[in-house]
Amino acid sequence: MRTAITRAALLLFCAGLLAATGPALAEEAKPEPKAVKLTTTADHSKFKQLQKAFASGPEVTKACLECHTEAAGQIHRTKHWKWEYLNPATNQKLGKKNVLNNYCISIAANQAACTNCHVGYGWKDNNFDFTKEENVDCLVCHDTTGNYRKVPGSGGQAFGKDTEFPPGSGKIVKGIDLAKISQKVGKTSRDTCGGCHFNGGGGDGVKHGDLDSSMATPEKELDVHMDAVGLDFTCATCHKTSSHDVAGSRYAPTAKDDKGVQTRGKPGSGNPATCVACHGNGPHKKEARLNNHATKIACQTCHIPTFARGGIPTKMEWDWSTSGKVDANGKQFVKRDEKKRIIYESRKGDFKLGENVVPEYAWFNGHVEYTLLTDKIEKGPQRTPINKLGGSAADGKSMIWPMKVFRGTQPYDPVNKTLVTPHTTGPDGYWNTLVWDKAIEEGMKDSGQPFSGKVDFVNTVMSWPITHMVAPKNKALGCADCHSKQSRLAGITGIYIPVRDNNTLVDTLGWSIVLLTLLGVLGHGALRIVTGRKH
Amino acid sequence: MKLAKILAAGAILTVIAGTASAYDADWKRGRIYYRSVCTSCHAASPVGSINPSTKTKAEWTAYLQADKHAKGKDTVSGYVSKAYRAKIKSGNKAAEKFADTPDAELAADIKAFLIKGAKDGDSPATCS
Amino acid sequence: MSERIYVFKRFERFWHWSQAALIIFLMLTAFDIHGTYTIFGFEKAVAYHTIAAWTLIGLWVFAIFWHFTTGEWKQYIPTTEKVVAMMNYYLFGIFKNAPHPFRLTTLRKHNPLQRLAYLFILVCVGPLLWVTGGLYLFYDKWEALGLSGLSLEWVATGHVIGAFMMLAFLIAHVYLTTAGHTPMAHIKAMITGWEEVD
Repeated sequence: MRTAITRAALLLFCAGLLAATGPALAEEAKPEPKAVKLTTTADHSKFKQLQKAFASGPEVTKACLECHTEAAGQIHRTKHWKWEYLNPATNQKLGKKNVLNNYCISIAANQAACTNCHVGYGWKDNNFDFTKEENVDCLVCHDTTGNYRKVPGSGGQAFGKDTEFPPGSGKIVKGIDLAKISQKVGKTSRDTCGGCHFNGGGGDGVKHGDLDSSMATPEKELDVHMDAVGLDFTCATCHKTSSHDVAGSRYAPTAKDDKGVQTRGKPGSGNPATCVACHGNGPHKKEARLNNHATKIACQTCHIPTFARGGIPTKMEWDWSTSGKVDANGKQFVKRDEKKRIIYESRKGDFKLGENVVPEYAWFNGHVEYTLLTDKIEKGPQRTPINKLGGSAADGKSMIWPMKVFRGTQPYDPVNKTLVTPHTTGPDGYWNTLVWDKAIEEGMKDSGQPFSGKVDFVNTVMSWPITHMVAPKNKALGCADCHSKQSRLAGITGIYIPVRDNNTLVDTLGWSIVLLTLLGVLGHGALRIVTGRKH
Repeated sequence: MKLAKILAAGAILTVIAGTASAYDADWKRGRIYYRSVCTSCHAASPVGSINPSTKTKAEWTAYLQADKHAKGKDTVSGYVSKAYRAKIKSGNKAAEKFADTPDAELAADIKAFLIKGAKDGDSPATCS
Repeated sequence: MSERIYVFKRFERFWHWSQAALIIFLMLTAFDIHGTYTIFGFEKAVAYHTIAAWTLIGLWVFAIFWHFTTGEWKQYIPTTEKVVAMMNYYLFGIFKNAPHPFRLTTLRKHNPLQRLAYLFILVCVGPLLWVTGGLYLFYDKWEALGLSGLSLEWVATGHVIGAFMMLAFLIAHVYLTTAGHTPMAHIKAMITGWEEVD
């Protein structure tokens, strides 16, 4: 009996021991629960359509469209596809297809190169078929591997196998694993949007100044929202997209959003990408005075103290008129500054670069008017505006905005008095031949515009509202950045800014009275001492 | 406890060595950890920062498999481990963010980034 | 022989010196805000200036109450009596050891020029500063208050004009404290309350 009890106790003890150690061991040994992708409801690697070798981009797109039947049709309606935009306010036909700038100027006759950033395959010239669904490039936005490549000069094509390109050149472009890439498609990311938008103007950070590759994994200091180890916003977090049409536009921007937070079901300003769409019109909790500032000053003005802060310079000036020089051997050359950054290229001319650039400021009401090929221009002491931004203190629709103001010197037609669209890329483009008139003639023909054959250069200026690289609040501008004699807003007219606009007459008179009073009492006192008053 | 460590180390090695594993490595997470933890420390120390593109895929694979950091003074996996992340997380946002990521997964992520960014990788990368 | 009379009561002295300190601090921060120099910098100077202004308003609430309950407000009623004599004294007499034309009593502790000067500060400079300062402070409420027609430039410039006038007053006031019975007599009186009179 006794031993039985002892045995039972021992058994119980052992069981207890097992129970105590059991869970720990079981945890190690237990098979992992089935791995589930939490970012998507569909593991594309499981789809038969994608489990095959793809030779070209359109082949992949066809596979995508088997399930996503409406996707291409949605894309076909967007600016990303059409590169065309009719501004309802000005009736100007804009979009990349129609505008020109003072960087690489325009896509006319350069489509094969420029459309490396088109969401399509094969736009080599004006014969591109915009209605073909398989011409849509799904992968350029939805790649997650970072390995997707469009081949430069090919009209934005992707090769699934090693291909001789350009045809007959003997050069082999390595094919990419389109099957693997398509099996891993996902949501857009800073990397995919950045693939083009970081590289606008033909290189990292060149065009925008507030978008460059440092924004792929930014730190908090660089962008408080995109901070890769913090809020980790993607572009689409703000540029809320529906039906593949990305919100936010440079052609018709929302300069002033007084419609408050866009809660669900509330229409708001219609642009979900504004600061106000999330932060509202009175975001400063401690200092109500700042909310009052925010009725005239865009959030970006104070909260983006400088742009190009990520260590990558942006172009600030580009002088095409100095291009065309060659070295002793008749070869093109480049010049670099002490930081090894290119500041001259035979084919492009002189550049000025900037990092941590203090923006210029302007009243802006969202109205943008472009100088198009059909517009007459005059060469004069004033720079010709590539885009004219509307705005004034008085119109009630304007806010003070930070701008990257890009200044250039570019070719124009002094007889027809128009800007021109030179053919720059490819073997017979200016970048290879260094011959202007031929290049311009070809480009203007492609644009369907007349060219006199004469070439001159005109100084131009273009403004880019700055809106990315929002700094943490402790890095925002302080009062004295504007409320001082060296005010950042020195060029802003139409409002009274205390300190900046101190009345000099009042100051002179005031100090004169103070000084006279002081001299008076000093003189009086001195006289009292001299006359030796006893007291 | 010891057993758990051995098992975990084994798991890391298995993943680093690239043998059978269901885990789908996230090179982007690897990129953040590499830049925010490895580079931020390396930039200050005598070795300096190391661009992924300075080694080939084979060299990175061999390096990770050998698991020798600072010429064998300590291990690479040590700097990826949860214990190390817990130690530095008060001053390192990446370590804080990935504090609970299993060691093996994070190691695989970093490997994916290094292989992708290697000299002969799909897109040679810098460290910043 | 001189006698001593009690002219400045305890509250009055407290009021005077705390007001003096506040006004000097307001001046200091004012011209910091104005950009004349940088001690605190615009942002902090504005904050301090605002706090000092509110404190001064609080002090004035007590001072006004005190003046009316004690009847001391009558000390500021202007008079033309002896104004010319006072001017003559400051311009000539003072250098010749002439006797002070004004004999102060507890009921008339300010000389006629003082009365005029203080009244001017009270009804012109003061209100100018308070009104413009208040408007400045509540700039963000103008629209709600139906004042959107107001010009910030005029308000700001008015405030600056007031500041210059106050500064000029301060200089003259500080100097004239030495023009008493002895150079330190008035200052002592303001500290102890007791003034010696001939």
